[in-house]
Amino acid sequence: MHELFLVQALLVQLKELCEEHGRSKVSMVTVSIGKESCVVPDSFAFLFDAVKAEEECATGALLRIEEGEGRDLILLRVELEEADRSV
Amino acid sequence: MCDSCGCGGAERLVVEVNRSVLDENRRVAQGNRRMLREMGAVALNLMSSPGAGKTTLLERTIAALKDRYRIGVIEGDVETERDAQRIRAQGVPVVQLTTGGACHLSAALVHKGLHGLKGIGEGVYDLVFIENVGNLVCPAAFDLGEDVKVALLSVPEGSDKPAKYPALFREASLFIITKVDLLEHFDFSLDEAERLARGINPDVEILRLSAVSGEGVGSWLEYVAGLAEGRRGIRP
Repeated sequence: MHELFLVQALLVQLKELCEEHGRSKVSMVTVSIGKESCVVPDSFAFLFDAVKAEEECATGALLRIEEGEGRDLILLRVELEEADRSV
Repeated sequence: MCDSCGCGGAERLVVEVNRSVLDENRRVAQGNRRMLREMGAVALNLMSSPGAGKTTLLERTIAALKDRYRIGVIEGDVETERDAQRIRAQGVPVVQLTTGGACHLSAALVHKGLHGLKGIGEGVYDLVFIENVGNLVCPAAFDLGEDVKVALLSVPEGSDKPAKYPALFREASLFIITKVDLLEHFDFSLDEAERLARGINPDVEILRLSAVSGEGVGSWLEYVAGLAEGRRGIRP
């Protein structure tokens, strides 16, 4: 279950990226999970959806997973938006 | 602002990040490394599946070396203080970390453990042993700031394990085959285990021992003493 630790580390990075770029909302997250990373993509996706509301900016974020090489888990890119002010 | 409907949600910004999710763990691990240097200690991270004999080997190691070196222990477990109690009975400072379900120690948890050790007595150590949570998969992914990663495999587990769980054996500087007093009772091939481990990690050092019979323990104690006295180079 180290996927949970990794999801929480990712959420912290998302929060920092929002602050850095002056945005309040993450709409899309793309990560690369290395084949030798010992991270199970399905578990990672499940846990991301289960706990993403812990960071307000990530509440509506969609996760896209790409298969990568090697042992690392990499945050490739994020799409940031302002919070929806139309409502 | 969005041209079509006037909502504020359309100013989409795509940021190429390309950063490891483990970066924060690595940053904290570097802090642990600095802290260990300040404490004057060499740290060993012991990793294996549950029941491979990490705690028993530690008990024996501490009993043999505690008069020569200042030893501190960080115990990682999912639940309970059991292992910490066993080590505490040896009369050295112990900090128990319970992960509350997580299957591995993280650098941040070990950082707490190091502060705990620093707060006991003079807080000066030659050796810090970190006993990771019993698990042959997850601990390998997390840098704790240790100097040496040690992988242990016990005879009852079978000699094919380095091939089945390569991550741990790839990361380790030292591979210890434990419970060799049981070799006659199990279909365990020392040659196979060592060949598989070297196939993944050609530079790995290998020791065979039994903490119960004492066979091979001397070589391990010599290895540890070499680290404590700086006679043995530490792989970065």
